[in-house]
Amino acid sequence: MTGWHLDDETLRRYVERIDSVAEGASVEQHVVTCERCRARVNTAAVAVDLAVVDLDAVWDRTRDAVEIPRPSVFERLLSAVGLPAHEARLVAVASAFRGVWLIGVAAVIAFAALAAKIGDTDEVWFFLAVAPAAPCLLVAVSYDRRWDPALEPEVVTPYPALRLVLLRTTAVLALALPAVLLLGLVVPGQTPFVWLLPALGFVAVVLAASTWISPPNAAATVSVAWLLAVWLVKRAHSPTVVLEARIQVAFLVLAAASFCIFVVRAHHLSQLRPRR
Amino acid sequence: MTGSLISLRGVGRSFGATQALADVDLDLHAGVIGLLGPNGAGKTTLLRLLATALPPSRGKVRVLGRDVEVLAERTEIRRRLGYLPQEVGFPRGFTAFAFVDYIALLKEWADPAARHAEVRRVLDQVGLSDAATKRIRAMSGGQRRRVALAQALLGSPPVLILDEPTTGVDPEQRVTLRTVLAELARTSIVVLSTHQTEDVAALCERVVVLDRGRVRYDGAVTDLVDRAAGRVWLADQPDPAATVSWRTGTGRYRNVAAEARDDVEHVEPSLEDAYLLLRGDRSGTGIVTR
Repeated sequence: MTGWHLDDETLRRYVERIDSVAEGASVEQHVVTCERCRARVNTAAVAVDLAVVDLDAVWDRTRDAVEIPRPSVFERLLSAVGLPAHEARLVAVASAFRGVWLIGVAAVIAFAALAAKIGDTDEVWFFLAVAPAAPCLLVAVSYDRRWDPALEPEVVTPYPALRLVLLRTTAVLALALPAVLLLGLVVPGQTPFVWLLPALGFVAVVLAASTWISPPNAAATVSVAWLLAVWLVKRAHSPTVVLEARIQVAFLVLAAASFCIFVVRAHHLSQLRPRR
Repeated sequence: MTGSLISLRGVGRSFGATQALADVDLDLHAGVIGLLGPNGAGKTTLLRLLATALPPSRGKVRVLGRDVEVLAERTEIRRRLGYLPQEVGFPRGFTAFAFVDYIALLKEWADPAARHAEVRRVLDQVGLSDAATKRIRAMSGGQRRRVALAQALLGSPPVLILDEPTTGVDPEQRVTLRTVLAELARTSIVVLSTHQTEDVAALCERVVVLDRGRVRYDGAVTDLVDRAAGRVWLADQPDPAATVSWRTGTGRYRNVAAEARDDVEHVEPSLEDAYLLLRGDRSGTGIVTR
């Protein structure tokens, strides 16, 4: 036993349970062998009306520390931008936010952007074909049965499906759009930006189509249609045709109309809600 | 019948050209109700209808007096519902605690302290308190089944729909789960489907037997068992007159027949005998009710 004893401040913090885990462990180790400090702890505990230690609370805190899963980086990011912690968890659970998907999609976009950088017009078209499809594929996998295996219990919970889908979609877009934009900066000319409205339009189409068919089928259909359209247009035009105001407005109208259809038909949402 | 917690009127469900359920009329009250039937009989479809996971193609389903077809009423039902599907997948990398916690979030348990306490309660209830931090992918089939059951028990719901809850669960845990379900049935309605007639015999007062999408029996378990009285006997050989016969552990044959016999060594019929008799009986006109 040493000549060292608990100072008043440490004692107070320990008794009021506002000390750190390390500090508390140190105090406990000391009082096991020091009768004098043990007596002081008892006296102080009585003084602050804590004579009876709430073992249940202590046990709960211990279990909390062991059992509660630590939030992922993405979940903490969502909380940091203002999403309530419980909704950040609901969003971050989606398959689309797992590393393998993000890395895969980023690799495809990076490849397309690099090809456009070092290649000729054909590669720019390739970038244009791939970039808008990536966000809508990510949105599709963020709430589909094949990548969300816990779906059946999820389906019968009272949490609003519409809200969940919109939260996940917004999170995907918030993640995917800046990433694609950043990777696309290496693409020459204005091409890095022309895909933004098509991407939004396609995501809205996928959401609307999800009220009839599964999200991945919707995303696959949209992507194939877009690839076909790009292939047809590139034979007679340059990539800048997509920049024309009427084309961009058309994509804006497509996005708005599709979103309206989605909201109106949300109760028919496939996968997250029963098929009709 | 009035006052039922769950009612179905003329309910049918089709998947394309396949009719999974046809003209089902049921009134279910508090207690444990067992669903029996062969594979493809429509048990899972019926449970999915009750759990609001699937809409009926025809007829009306009401749970706790609310219409499953009306969005607002369906949400109210879901607030009072626990559902264990036949197959539950688990997100990759989740622990038991994380999975049940995730479902609790979807069940509107926003307050972390209350939610975590509830998650612990249901994991304790299914005997998984020691495995809360274990990854589900590393669990045995029985443990996974209990994790899935735990999420259904969140909030002690007044309506519990369980599709084969004891599949893959060891005998000790089955007994524990029966105790849990019996306790819940004091205040809730528990509808469970199973292939285990002993679970129904041990737990349920009432049993519904489905076959090819139709109700073939709806009544007390004891009444169904009584129907087999005098029709089950042991013999040294399988009896040609029996509907079904099988060799028992003693080497003798257990015979179950549609016609009662006097000149044989009768034994106490079990629910399984009665069920097999019902399944083998094609001469009846259809539904047998209480």
